[in-house]
Amino acid sequence: MLIYAINRILQIIPVIFILSVLVFGFVHALPGDVIDTLTATDGEEDPEVRAALEEEFGLNKPIYVQYFIWVGSALQGDFGKSLVTRRPVNIELIERIPATVYLALVGIGLSILIAVPLGTLAAVRRNTLTDYSAQISSLAGISIPEFWFAILCILLFALHLGWLPSSGYAPLFEEPGKSVLYLILPALAVGFRQAAFTTRLTRSSMLDEISKDYVDTARSLGLSERKVIYKYTLRNAMIPTITISGLQLAGLLGGTVVLETIFSWPGIGLAIYSAIQLRDFPVIQAGVLVLGIMVVIINLLVDLLYRVLNPRVGLG
Amino acid sequence: MSKLKISNSFGQQTRREFLATTSAGMAAAAGAAATASMPGAALAAKKKGGTLRFSTRADARGLDPQRNVIYYVSHPLAATSGGLLDIDENMDIVPAIGEEWTVSDDMKTYTFKIRKGVTFHNGADVDAPAIKWNYDRVRDPKTSHSFHRSFFKLVKEITAVDKHTLRIELESPSAVFLASVTYYPVNLIAPNSVGQVDTHPIGCGPFKFVSWKRYAKTEMVRFENFWQTDAAGNSLPYLDAIEGYPKKEDKVRLTALRTGEVDLIENMSYADAANFKKTQTANYNTWDIPQVGAGYLAVQSKKGPFAMDAADGKLMRQALSHAIDKEAIHQAIFNGLSESLNGFFSSSSTWHMPDIKNVKEYDPEKSKAILRKLNAMNTPVAVVARQAYAYMHQTGEIVYSMLEEAGFKVTNEVFDNPVLRKKYKKADYGVDSTANSYRFEPDQWYSVNVLSTGPSTKLRTGYKNEAADKLIVAARQTRDKQVRMEMYTDVESMVNDDCALIYTHGIPLTSAATKKLKDYKPAFAGPFNISNGGVRVAYMDG
Repeated sequence: MLIYAINRILQIIPVIFILSVLVFGFVHALPGDVIDTLTATDGEEDPEVRAALEEEFGLNKPIYVQYFIWVGSALQGDFGKSLVTRRPVNIELIERIPATVYLALVGIGLSILIAVPLGTLAAVRRNTLTDYSAQISSLAGISIPEFWFAILCILLFALHLGWLPSSGYAPLFEEPGKSVLYLILPALAVGFRQAAFTTRLTRSSMLDEISKDYVDTARSLGLSERKVIYKYTLRNAMIPTITISGLQLAGLLGGTVVLETIFSWPGIGLAIYSAIQLRDFPVIQAGVLVLGIMVVIINLLVDLLYRVLNPRVGLG
Repeated sequence: MSKLKISNSFGQQTRREFLATTSAGMAAAAGAAATASMPGAALAAKKKGGTLRFSTRADARGLDPQRNVIYYVSHPLAATSGGLLDIDENMDIVPAIGEEWTVSDDMKTYTFKIRKGVTFHNGADVDAPAIKWNYDRVRDPKTSHSFHRSFFKLVKEITAVDKHTLRIELESPSAVFLASVTYYPVNLIAPNSVGQVDTHPIGCGPFKFVSWKRYAKTEMVRFENFWQTDAAGNSLPYLDAIEGYPKKEDKVRLTALRTGEVDLIENMSYADAANFKKTQTANYNTWDIPQVGAGYLAVQSKKGPFAMDAADGKLMRQALSHAIDKEAIHQAIFNGLSESLNGFFSSSSTWHMPDIKNVKEYDPEKSKAILRKLNAMNTPVAVVARQAYAYMHQTGEIVYSMLEEAGFKVTNEVFDNPVLRKKYKKADYGVDSTANSYRFEPDQWYSVNVLSTGPSTKLRTGYKNEAADKLIVAARQTRDKQVRMEMYTDVESMVNDDCALIYTHGIPLTSAATKKLKDYKPAFAGPFNISNGGVRVAYMDG
């Protein structure tokens, strides 16, 4: 297991290098640049001003030189300064990572807590009311647009019932009580939608597993149904569920712009989106790179978890 | 049945009126008796203060008020800054840190007397040398935004004559220069704090900066040494603190107000505003913020079928203009809350011009007739709009169908600002659905967007009209407001005749606040930090 883990970790080094080249290349291929943004719609463009700003931001250097300067600094933990706010990228972006990770982890945790029992029950009680209910609710979760569900949650729980704040954020370790209150609605919005996918997947995986010979063998050996389902079948059925949950988590780390906007959640997605609109290169580069590294790490953890669930999984 | 009449020296009252009067009198007497028994300290007027929680649609881009162009748009941070002069709720320029000024006869020299005893938040003096340092910084391309810099385009030299006298000399005469040193965009920062301007700005506004977490929260506290006082001599502002909470989603901002999470919101959605004003008057105050700006369609007339120098360019632009149904935009996009415009200034502005001529009425048949006559049916038109503002691209969508109906072959695309700017430069569009605001001084609009040498004209539309150019330059050098008004009316009539800019509507903005917010008076287009208004005189009750 240790050798397997070390091998997998070594594999991510070239992945991160390629990722950094792609991120840098794509960012600089975006149409429009930050100088355009800074000179404003009404602003008169002065070539001298453009040259001065390009000099200041290092944009007049060859692209490969810019890349190596950026990578060199990033390796030392310095992502530079935002070209728009002039504040360090670490303040603009890196400090927002905890909010994103917090929401993503709780959202995905909530999704698993809903989806695994519901999907399992639906499979075990196939073609019963439980199964139909699970299928209808997961279909609703997939069909209802995320932003609409979020707004509905706000109107119901904040405006009409007054149980929860409509939006906002408080750091977990500074104001834990308030933080949890702020978290509930966005986590519910994230969890409900992700659970819809995972429930269907868990159900179909469970149905596959239940029909396999080893389940009949276990039953014929006199094992209780509970033990057959929860100890053997579910364990095997969880592999695709974990894969999808890992991918969902990776997606949530960078793709909750809509929910961050609706719930005024100061996460990394909103910051990157805003930076893209302003062509704030250092912020985009750092944000996408950090997200990419997080995705790589999540994939690594998922792979390691496969190995725990099924020791036959090899390096491939 | 006759009512009981009770006679007194003031006339006659009904029984009900009598009971009401006497009850009120007894209550007043009881109140007076209770007051008389209160300790002396409690007799003093209740101190005005409290913390205002203000939710905005957008957040500031950065903290340096001279580098960040979006700073002024109702952001809470605007309360940390101040300019040499102020505007009031009527959009008039009034004294502030500059308490007096003189203008030379040739309108090329402005001399300001600087108010004594005014300080920045760190205690440094706001004096003539400090203001000169700020203005020099705004004029430096490396340290300021070009939009801010454009206000000093005419400046030749700035001199701190002495500690309390500032002289500004201009390259050419201007009767309107005062607007360039008013509030935004030439906010002042403490020169000795420039090293921290991107992390902790030190201004001279009514509130001191405390912290800024982008897209999350802005905190400010009352500046105890702010220069302005109320009529009774009490120091302003009254509020103890302001907390800003950007919430981009309109519905969420409104919900936050209704659940008591915030006290004041800006930019209510058009769909919500109409209903909210009808149903929630008991619990909330609402304000239709006076607008000086306009939504309009900018026609690209540098090249292509609408070009100024194309043989049929003017007729083609007329065909465009006749195809636009302003009433449909008014109803569909603004829920009936907007105002149809024929010129840049809406009726909220003292510069509103009712006599503008040459307005092209909505008549798609005329458009079709022109296109047929020119054998130009299915002429391609690219309608573009900016992504950041929903009403711009929603208007673009409606304009798309109007132009299609009139016989053009239309595409409609939405872009973010950097891409749109590239399209402007290449003249790679036909009609831009856009808007402009915050130009309370007409010269700031006409010299930038209508004058053929104006930066926006050169960048975007390529509009050229020599007669209009002469009037704009002459109006800048004319002191008499009425005469200027007539000149601008003529300019707008020419613009309408040329169909280079098709003004469509005033952009309504509705703010709302809990009734606990007292004496709040917003100014045009959102700035809430205004002389004797906005957050300077507002306070929270209870």
